[in-house]
Amino acid sequence: MDALFQWAEGTSLAQFIARSAAVTGLLSGVHLVGLTLVVGGALVSGLRLLGVAFAEWPVRDVTGTMDRGMTLGMSLSVATGALLVSPRISSASGNGIFQLKMLLLAAAAGFYFAVYRPVMRGAEAGPVARRATGAAGLVLWLGVALAGCAFILLE
Amino acid sequence: MSITEWLAWLEASPVGRVATESLWGFPILVAVHIMGLTVSVGTIVWFDLRLLGVALRGCPVTDVYRRLIPWATAGFLVMVVSGGWLFVGYATSAYVNIAFRIKIAAIVLAGVNALAYHRLTERHVREWDALVRLPLPARMAGLVSIALWVTAILAGRMMSYTMF
Repeated sequence: MDALFQWAEGTSLAQFIARSAAVTGLLSGVHLVGLTLVVGGALVSGLRLLGVAFAEWPVRDVTGTMDRGMTLGMSLSVATGALLVSPRISSASGNGIFQLKMLLLAAAAGFYFAVYRPVMRGAEAGPVARRATGAAGLVLWLGVALAGCAFILLE
Repeated sequence: MSITEWLAWLEASPVGRVATESLWGFPILVAVHIMGLTVSVGTIVWFDLRLLGVALRGCPVTDVYRRLIPWATAGFLVMVVSGGWLFVGYATSAYVNIAFRIKIAAIVLAGVNALAYHRLTERHVREWDALVRLPLPARMAGLVSIALWVTAILAGRMMSYTMF
């Protein structure tokens, strides 16, 4: 793994990012745009799954067309996040908050594709299971966002 | 008192010094600012996507607005208070920073765009409330809002790399 990290840090792309504050700033901005789309999507769809908002409309009518936007947000954040961390992946990987962020991200993304998205698209789920899905999605994505804030500020 | 003196006075105030001198002031304010942003812009953007007819298609536009606006407003207040506090701490360097000026201009224009939507476009909402494909002015309002908020976020992050 260390050899892989050292290779990533040595690539010309990683070194280009490390040298340019403008490119790093732009990548960081796109990273936050993606996160905003995901957390907002988790909030809006989560409120419907929880039955707090849009309860008079079928789940599928509210959330069935939201998955593409959330997937786009995730893709933007993951791609730019990988580029942002590439010049310093060796030190970041040893950081406890970064490890927590990656763990939460893996849990949130895995849960999203395995459970959350099928329920958004109208898969059969009882009221309790649906509410639990909405709450878990919301908690996981807010956790990713908070761990992300903590990582950039306390690294 | 000139604007520069006034900004320097803001920075030296106890409120400004919480952002700059206390151990946890800056990280907590930035984290709160980003969380406020994800809730506020994160919900506004989904209303914009409804205007564009790409998300929440099954719900009338007015219903989407009514359900999301309390979250967007609460997030916006959190974002403005934490952002205003951070500005007080770094007032002189933020004031002359081009990314900060672009960010503020984008937020003001987003407000003007929202006002124009509510005062002009929304007057005929009964005719298209439940449609998926909305009239051009409504779709434009959604597209312009997304473009301005993305600009504000990009400029906001750019501040971190051009101010310090």
